[in-house]
Amino acid sequence: MKSNYKINEEQLLKYLNGSLNNDELHEFEKKMADSTLLNDAVEGLQTIKNKTSIDHYVSDLNKQLHEFTTSKKRRRLKNKSSINFWIIASIVLIIIICIIGYFTLDLTFKTN
Amino acid sequence: MQKNNYENFTDTELLEKYYSTNTIDLIGILLQRYTLLLFGTCMKYLKDETKSKDAVQQIFLKVLNELPKYKVTFFKSWIYMIAKNHCLMLLRNKTEFKSLENFEIENDFELDKDELIIKEQDFEFLELSIKELNVEQQNCIQQFYILKKSYAEISKTTGYNLMQVKSHIQNGKRNLKILITQKREQ
Repeated sequence: MKSNYKINEEQLLKYLNGSLNNDELHEFEKKMADSTLLNDAVEGLQTIKNKTSIDHYVSDLNKQLHEFTTSKKRRRLKNKSSINFWIIASIVLIIIICIIGYFTLDLTFKTN
Repeated sequence: MQKNNYENFTDTELLEKYYSTNTIDLIGILLQRYTLLLFGTCMKYLKDETKSKDAVQQIFLKVLNELPKYKVTFFKSWIYMIAKNHCLMLLRNKTEFKSLENFEIENDFELDKDELIIKEQDFEFLELSIKELNVEQQNCIQQFYILKKSYAEISKTTGYNLMQVKSHIQNGKRNLKILITQKREQ
């Protein structure tokens, strides 16, 4: 599966902490050699002195992401409901015009 | 987000589902898989934790806005390009950067393991091609893939630093791919 194999976050953090065994280490480094994204990410994360802070950053970012998707959904829903309002208003207006037209014509015929 | 329902979905499957249902939550699930990698990538370029965190948030917003506009096939390559361009843009403080539409061309940023599928008849080509690499690449490739040594062990035995070892392996792998392709075509 091209570009789709999963990168295990736990493994990445273990790699940073130096707690992978030899086989796991080799497998992980093979993945690094295969993926520029993973390689760059590891190089970047290695520069963070306090490795425990990484978890906090990721958790904060995921919360923020959740807020972004929720607000985008809300905005989309709002747009949809405002479009629905105008559609319903237009239909009601057309019906009112038809009813008024009908009675006006009816009245005109009766008086003639 | 209904994360559990989609845990076994591949990125491609999630993307397909998103394009067919237009459900924003699916982009959220997809992006969440890459939060750590994006943060690490931003750290590599920006070298600052707060700036990197801000940059990842901006990348999230960018993806939420841009993904619906394009038919992305290789999400991992695409998001890597977005992240890298975003960091470079911040570093250069320029407003223009590579068009997102060109992402297809950039897909070879990712050298996935499947790209180097070696068929049985290619082993001969592989053997010949390894000999054509420069000494450093030959040495690192053999120790890494054949002797299954770690970067640190190769660094110890060869005297190259870790960055050089990584670079020789990646460049060697890229060159091998080119050499094998050339031999197949001959």
